[in-house]
Amino acid sequence: MTPEKNPEQGRRGFLKQVALAAVSAPLGANLVAAAADVAAPNQPPDNAAGPAPAVGYASLGPDEAGFVEAMVNVMCPADPLTPNGVDCGLAIFIDRQLAGDFGRGARLYRQGPWAPGRPELGYQLPLTPEQYFKAGLAAAGDVCRTTRGKRFEELSPEEADVFLQELAADKFTGGHFSLGEWFNGLVYPLFEQACFSDPLYGGNTNKVFWKMLGYPGLPATHANDMVEFRGKPYPGARDPKSIADFS
Amino acid sequence: MATRLKKRTVVIVGGGLTAGLISRQLTAQGIEVLVLERGGNSSNGAAEKLPNQRDELRWDVRQGLVQDWAVQTYSLRHSRKEASLPVRRMEAFLPGEGRGGAANHWTGITWRWAEYDPALRTRLESRYGKTAIPAEVTVQDWGVSYAELEKYHDLFEKLFGISGKAGNIQGRIQPGGNPFEAPRQNEYPQPALELTEAGIIFKQTAEKLGYKPFPMAAGNSSGTYTNPDGMKLGACQYCGHCDRFLCEAKAKSTPELLLYPVLLERPQFEIRLNCHVLGVDYDRDGKRVTGVRYLDLLTGEEYEQPADVVVLGAFTMTNAKLLLMAGIGEKYDPVTGKGVVGRNFCYQSSSLVNLFFPDRWINPFLASGCSGVNIDEFNADHFDHSGLDFLGGGAITANLKGGLPIRGRRVPPGTPRWGTKWKQANADWYAHSFALTAQATCYPHRENFLDLDPSYTDAYGQPLVRMTFDWQQNEVRMSEYVTRKMEAVAQAAGAKIVGPAVPRRGPFDTRVSQSTHVVGGTVMGADPRTSVVSPHLQHWDASNLFVVGASVLPHNSGYNPTGPIAALALRLGDDLVRYVGKPDML
Repeated sequence: MTPEKNPEQGRRGFLKQVALAAVSAPLGANLVAAAADVAAPNQPPDNAAGPAPAVGYASLGPDEAGFVEAMVNVMCPADPLTPNGVDCGLAIFIDRQLAGDFGRGARLYRQGPWAPGRPELGYQLPLTPEQYFKAGLAAAGDVCRTTRGKRFEELSPEEADVFLQELAADKFTGGHFSLGEWFNGLVYPLFEQACFSDPLYGGNTNKVFWKMLGYPGLPATHANDMVEFRGKPYPGARDPKSIADFS
Repeated sequence: MATRLKKRTVVIVGGGLTAGLISRQLTAQGIEVLVLERGGNSSNGAAEKLPNQRDELRWDVRQGLVQDWAVQTYSLRHSRKEASLPVRRMEAFLPGEGRGGAANHWTGITWRWAEYDPALRTRLESRYGKTAIPAEVTVQDWGVSYAELEKYHDLFEKLFGISGKAGNIQGRIQPGGNPFEAPRQNEYPQPALELTEAGIIFKQTAEKLGYKPFPMAAGNSSGTYTNPDGMKLGACQYCGHCDRFLCEAKAKSTPELLLYPVLLERPQFEIRLNCHVLGVDYDRDGKRVTGVRYLDLLTGEEYEQPADVVVLGAFTMTNAKLLLMAGIGEKYDPVTGKGVVGRNFCYQSSSLVNLFFPDRWINPFLASGCSGVNIDEFNADHFDHSGLDFLGGGAITANLKGGLPIRGRRVPPGTPRWGTKWKQANADWYAHSFALTAQATCYPHRENFLDLDPSYTDAYGQPLVRMTFDWQQNEVRMSEYVTRKMEAVAQAAGAKIVGPAVPRRGPFDTRVSQSTHVVGGTVMGADPRTSVVSPHLQHWDASNLFVVGASVLPHNSGYNPTGPIAALALRLGDDLVRYVGKPDML
């Protein structure tokens, strides 16, 4: 199934129109702000069954959002499997996580003294995840300008992909902390969570990644399915249900 | 200034599984029990109700039911030569909080350990000779036999309505069960869960190779069930939200469902939630404890709670911490090998291999956390280690656990980490793959131990427990062997692609979920020079202090430890009935 054939494509269709309107600019920070501006108050809700579309960032500034949007669109390009990362809500997911309990360091032991340690001891910086994310974005942006002569969001998708692979491989040294650990320990897990979490958190819009996998979601009361569909295609996998569908 | 409260008969620190079981035995005999639990009560909230119970991000990835690491964590160094650092967000193992403890968010996998496990040193020395156990591997007997514990295993399995297939009833090997099982008086209270497609593939492969596969014994109820106390379990819905979740179908056996409702009806029982125990008061000259001090987390007020008997039933690390802080028993010294508190701290080795079947519908979401199939041929000392350079082994299991989409996906080796090819690989293989896992032994080592961190403190200003731990040579060699055996099974299963089977190696990695089964630190034994508590779990240096839980196990086997922990707790409950009547060394 391609996402375009799905009836619940209101927001994505809307965002695509905005993207087309802004086609000369790199897909960047202005997109969501523009979407917010264009969304007139009398516009009917595009999906009566779901919440209002999430627009506007709670944590990311314009430059940060530009980097993140370009990044999620490279990591999740529009293709027959899903729309691009921004349209899948991946940037919004990351922003909301950074702005919320996780980003502010909930459940993270934050007492000093602070000292570097082996990677296996885990994260050891005094920054909250939100601060760490942003410090890494700034450092990665600097490295990109230094090594590529361009801002990250100005790279072609192919160039951006290579740059991210080099980030992940910890090719860039000399900053305050390892950009490889930053990418692999914070950014990449947020990317995966954005794709596969319940859409409640702003990513995985319209359950597009669950449809891609064939994960049926809720209610998952499978006592009979367990026997009936053991070893067979499971029909519910084509039409996953999420928390919003039962709320 | 702490407010001094009225003296109580038995005070238990920690309101989890062991406290529930001990209290059941004591209150049934009219003995009053007070339980102090640092957490609250999560049942009947979002964690247990549809739709939010199914939220993988909230409960699984963000650990919504797990100890708050901002308040209390543990520090780690991989050897005595290194400085410790706090584990700022633990992923390796996950203590619980709240009434029911970690046994609320547990998966439900319920083993009895091998018949020889409580006499492991005797077993290994008699089989391989007095010199077979390296000097630094401090394996020891528990001072209690499996035969003495059997009736308590039996009772626990009935209380928790365990689903499974017996392999050894009164010495008679049962087809379809585990032939290596310790002899049991009775069949499991409920039939085994349905097998998954992965379980069927693994079972057929294992049989072809001459092994004896059997279904996992599960605290996930295969049918509706009423236990001897009249408490009920619903039937498992195979939703896959077990480990790190509460069960919305009331089909997972937990203290909250099966023990505390009974206890709360008994006038002899009281549990105080949101009460964090700060310390145990020790009368060194009298070789007794006089009570505990705790903080009411709702008011910030401190209380002194005198008691005739104190039981430490908290998580592994906390039991050791309370003894170390109070100076009860000699602290373990790895240089001399003397001292006992902190000794024999063990984790659990694990490894896995992914299998990919383009033509089989594995449907990983049609599973419970315990609907797996095992083989036990390469576990513990079930095979002859003559000529091998290690001791121990692991159970090999095909267990889907539910295919949750954030953490339960598999892609073949060589798949890019993002982009269209990554998406395509997820789309292609999510429903067509599963993993074999090996959960293996971790025998104690002289250099693996617990003590108090010299620098780092928790939110209450108390030192963190410091782990000095790494995978030692015996465990590395064992994991190499068991992982190769697992890989051979995987290769025989007819998969199109078999992922790399990577044995467990050091350094111990706190960032990777492995097993919540940390054991030892306050171990049991018949010799006070090598144990904190007696075979009756009575402290050698404070006769009215008892310690229970995984912290008393002197080694970790290739099995989940809930079975022996529960059996020891029920037995302690009965022992305490005797002790309260006649306080003496048991």
